[in-house]
Amino acid sequence: MVETIVNILFSGIFHASVLFLVAAGLQLVFGVQKIFNLACGSFYALGAYLGIVFVKYFLSVGGPPVLAILPLLAAGFVLAIIGPIIERGLLRFVYDRDVHFQLLLTFALLLMIEDIIKLIWGTYPLSTQGVYLAFGILDIFGASIPVYNLIVIVASIVIAGIMAHILSNTRFGRIIRATSDNNEMAQALGININNIYVKVFTLGTVLGTIGGALVIPSTAAMSEMAVDLIVLAFAVVVIGGLGSMKGAFVGALLVGILKSVSFAVYPELEMLLIYIIVIVVLVFKPQGLFGTAT
Amino acid sequence: MLSVDSIDVFIKSSRILRNVSLKAGKGEVVCLIGRNGAGKTTTLRTIMGYLRPEKGSVSFQGEDITRKSTHEISRLGIGYAPEDSGIFPDLTTHENIEISTWTKTTEKSEEERIKLAYKVFPVLEGYKKRKGTQLSGGERKMLSIARALALDPELLILDEPFEGLAPTIVTEVARSIQDIIKMGPSIIISESNIYHVPDFTDTLYVIERGEIIFSGRPEEVAQEKGILKIIAGTA
Repeated sequence: MVETIVNILFSGIFHASVLFLVAAGLQLVFGVQKIFNLACGSFYALGAYLGIVFVKYFLSVGGPPVLAILPLLAAGFVLAIIGPIIERGLLRFVYDRDVHFQLLLTFALLLMIEDIIKLIWGTYPLSTQGVYLAFGILDIFGASIPVYNLIVIVASIVIAGIMAHILSNTRFGRIIRATSDNNEMAQALGININNIYVKVFTLGTVLGTIGGALVIPSTAAMSEMAVDLIVLAFAVVVIGGLGSMKGAFVGALLVGILKSVSFAVYPELEMLLIYIIVIVVLVFKPQGLFGTAT
Repeated sequence: MLSVDSIDVFIKSSRILRNVSLKAGKGEVVCLIGRNGAGKTTTLRTIMGYLRPEKGSVSFQGEDITRKSTHEISRLGIGYAPEDSGIFPDLTTHENIEISTWTKTTEKSEEERIKLAYKVFPVLEGYKKRKGTQLSGGERKMLSIARALALDPELLILDEPFEGLAPTIVTEVARSIQDIIKMGPSIIISESNIYHVPDFTDTLYVIERGEIIFSGRPEEVAQEKGILKIIAGTA
C-alpha cells in the first residue's frame, strides 16, 4: 500500500515538475506580453525531438548515458533561437489585437510546428532508448523510483529557484515585473519593452523546450504531444491562476498528482478528473487559486 | 526646449486634438488647464510618444521626437508622472524609484538621483520597503513625481499632480514641485482646477474641446471672463 502511494506521489511530482516548467513559461509570457501562447506546447515537443537527436549523437560519440542530461539541456537551450524569431517575426504584430486573434495565431503556430515536426522526424514515435534506466532505480519505502525522475524533479526545483531569484533580486527581474504591472509606465521610465518582450518570450520558450527535453527519456516523442501538453498546461493555468508563478507551481503539482492518481486507479478517467477540477475552479473561482486575471 | 507645433490627434477615428501648439522654454513652468475631457492628457501622452499626431510635430531640444518611441523620448530627458500615478504595485517604493536610474546615464550617479528623490519627498523614505499597493493616493502621486525626478530629466511632465488629493497634501506636493523648479528642469503641469494653478507658473495654456483657446501669463487669464467661465464649466 505504502509503496503504491509513494510510487503515485513521485510519478505525480515528476509530471508536475515538467508541467511546471512549461506552465511557468506560459505564465511569464502572459504576465508580461499579455498573450496566452498556445504554441508553448510546440516548444515542448521541439525540445523533446531535438533532445532525442542530441542524446543519440552524444551516445554515438561515446558519451556515457548517465551524462545524457547534458545534451538534453543543450537541446533545450539551443532552441532558444526560435524565441526571438517568433516574437519579432509574428507576435509583435498582434500585441494590440483582440485576444481571440492572438489565440488563433498561436494555435495556428502550434499546428504548423506539429506539421514541421512530422516533416522532419516522421509520424512514428521516437525515444532515447535506454537512457531512462541508465541512471538506476532507487528503493523508497519499497517503491522503485527511477533516479532520472528525481533528477528531473531537482532540476525543475533548481530552475524554479533561479527564476524566483531573477524575478525578485535582479534588475532584469524588476524590470520584467514593472513591465508586467504597467508596460506604458515602464516605457516612460526609459525601458525598451520590445527588448524586454524578446527576452521574456525567449525565456518562456526555453522553459518549454527544456521541459520537453527533460521528459523525453521517460516517454516517447510523438507529433501530437504538443496538443496533449497544452491541454494539461491549460488546466494548470486555470487552476493556479493566469499570470501567477505561484499558481503555476501549485496548479502543476495538483494536475501532476491527479494525473498520476487517476492513471493508477482509473486510467480512462484521467482527463475527466482533471477537467472536473478545472470546471469547478472556473465556476467558483474564475481567477484561479492565485491569479489576478480572469 | 519643447515645442508642440499644430498637432492634430485622433483616437479611434475621433479627432481629440485640433491644431494644438505649446512651448516650454528652459527652466520654464507651463500649466495646461482645461476641463475633464478637454484634451490635456491626450496632449501630454502625445508628447510622450504614446499617441502619434496625424498632423504637426513635437520637438525637444531641437530634435524632432514626433515619431520616436516612448522609451527613447524618456531617455532624451523627459520625465512623466501620469494622472493615475502609474505606480508599479508589485514593486516597493524604493524599487519604483531606482528603476528610473537604470535606463539613462546622466552626470549624477544612481545614488545621487535616488537621494535627491527622497530629499524632495522625505515622506517616501519612511516607506522604502512598502509595495505600491500599500501606499495612499497622495503617496502614490509623490512617488510618481519622485520616480520621474530620478530620471534626472530636463523636462518634467506632471499630469494633474493635485487631482484627488487632500488640501494638506496639495500644499505638500506643491512645495515639493517648487523645490524641483529650483533644480532647473522645465515643467509642464496639467490641471483642471484653476485654483490649483501654482503661483510659480510662467505660462498658462487653456485647452477646450481639443483646442488651445488661450495662452499667456496666469494673471492675464484673470482678465478673460469668458475663458474663466469655460474653465469653470459654467460657459
